Amino acid sequence: MRSVCGAVILIFLILAFAAIAVPATNAASTSAADKSASPVLAAFEARIQAYLDLKGKAESSVPHLSKDSKPEEVVRHQRALAARIKEARAGAKPGEFFTPDLEALVKRTVTEVLSGPDGKSVKASIMDENPDVPRITLHEQYPTAVPLSTMPPQILASLPQLPKGLEYRFLGTRLVLLDTDADIIIDYTGRVMAP
Amino acid sequence: MRQEIGPVVSRPSSRESSPRAALFLLLPLLAPLLLSVGCGLGAGAVARPASVEAPAVPEAPPVPLPNRSGSLKFAVLGDFGTGAKVEYELAAQMAKLEERFKLDLVVMVGDNLYGAERPQDFKSKFEDPYRPLLDGGVRFYAALGNHDARTQVDYDLFNMGGKLYYSLKAPHQSVRFFMLDSTYPVPEQIEWLEKELKGSNEDWKIAVFHHPLYSSGGRHGSDLQLRQTLEPLFIKYNVSVALTGHDHFYERIKPQHGIVHFVVGSGGRLAVDDIGKPSDLTARGFDTDQAFMAVEIDKDTMVFNAISRTGKIVDSGRIQRRVPEPTRASG
Repeated sequence: MRSVCGAVILIFLILAFAAIAVPATNAASTSAADKSASPVLAAFEARIQAYLDLKGKAESSVPHLSKDSKPEEVVRHQRALAARIKEARAGAKPGEFFTPDLEALVKRTVTEVLSGPDGKSVKASIMDENPDVPRITLHEQYPTAVPLSTMPPQILASLPQLPKGLEYRFLGTRLVLLDTDADIIIDYTGRVMAP
Repeated sequence: MRQEIGPVVSRPSSRESSPRAALFLLLPLLAPLLLSVGCGLGAGAVARPASVEAPAVPEAPPVPLPNRSGSLKFAVLGDFGTGAKVEYELAAQMAKLEERFKLDLVVMVGDNLYGAERPQDFKSKFEDPYRPLLDGGVRFYAALGNHDARTQVDYDLFNMGGKLYYSLKAPHQSVRFFMLDSTYPVPEQIEWLEKELKGSNEDWKIAVFHHPLYSSGGRHGSDLQLRQTLEPLFIKYNVSVALTGHDHFYERIKPQHGIVHFVVGSGGRLAVDDIGKPSDLTARGFDTDQAFMAVEIDKDTMVFNAISRTGKIVDSGRIQRRVPEPTRASG
């Protein structure tokens, strides 16, 4: 029994060593992007924080929503919140969150993930039931005729993290920033991947 | 808020793999095997896979639901919220079943409301069709699909407690459901899932979410990206069953890594003939009518019936849960 056990351990150790020794062909480098990205990300984080402050004020002026609400309460709250946010952000223009610097960074990140070993299936996942929408309008509801695009975990882990109540979604090949409580689009990019 | 950007290092997919990737893939698969040979290397647990016993042909008599006192009885419903006549007809079958098989709860695998989500839509696409069950005290627990607005988390009758993902201890038997948000699997959710699974001491761990890790659907099919992320956790922490939807049919998948996967996206919209030629994955598929699942768990055994809009049992069987087997001491 001891000799069988020894052989098993030996095989295990050989495999473990081989796994480490084989060149890392799949490891994508993130260091270059990270170094140049820091100020851009810090600025994005500040804009998100400013939005949360604005949203907090908007929320305090609409009726409170409990976690077990009736549909009419859910819808009423959502619409009232959307209206307040729109009001507070009057004059907002596309690109206030996704500034040219950040959009370039997002595009680079998406491109790197999509050109990786799983790129084809990541893209298939994004484009599943995700038709291109001809026009996106700030502060409009996410189009009800279009399902929410599926965000692959690999993409979500690569983009800057967002606080609760904000999400990234792809609308076609563009990335939108969605306020899920108000169900409105608060910013969007140009195309960040090929059709 | 932690800010990082840049592609994460991808784990190799099942389709494309480098030699290094192949070894990395092999290691986790071989490790339990090697360690279970009898070396007694530590307290690692190797799970006995879930096993399924089902009639060999669809025409054979189905495995009946035992309807035992004290068992957990629940239904599984997915991709249903259309408000169309067929949804009501399937709901009527659920109500009919409930007359003799008292459901403790219903789990929903997402796409709970299609299209508009005005108050009247909640009524016509959910409250009205399932009224007999709701009035009978059956609680519905939702996971969200890609057609669902995120604000559904606050809707009282979906019992999500304002959360996009949550776990739910069943009222009877040693069962916990892990209700996941597969449309937006942020790292935070994955960390939460691992913690929940690790901390769960229930015998049955059942994952409920929208996008199937395995599916023979021509329209959507298996979500390989999600599989890479979730499956290792399911294997590691002894999940026995995964309930999913998205593809609009019923399919039972042959056990994968000891886990039984179901696609139950057959509650409303139907993708007729979408399974097409049954793939190697299919244990049983049904894509010609709406269907839901009725499930009973008693101790280590789950009995399931997939029931069509016309009341026909289109699949049935018995599943023994996965059991962690402590590694034996060397002799």
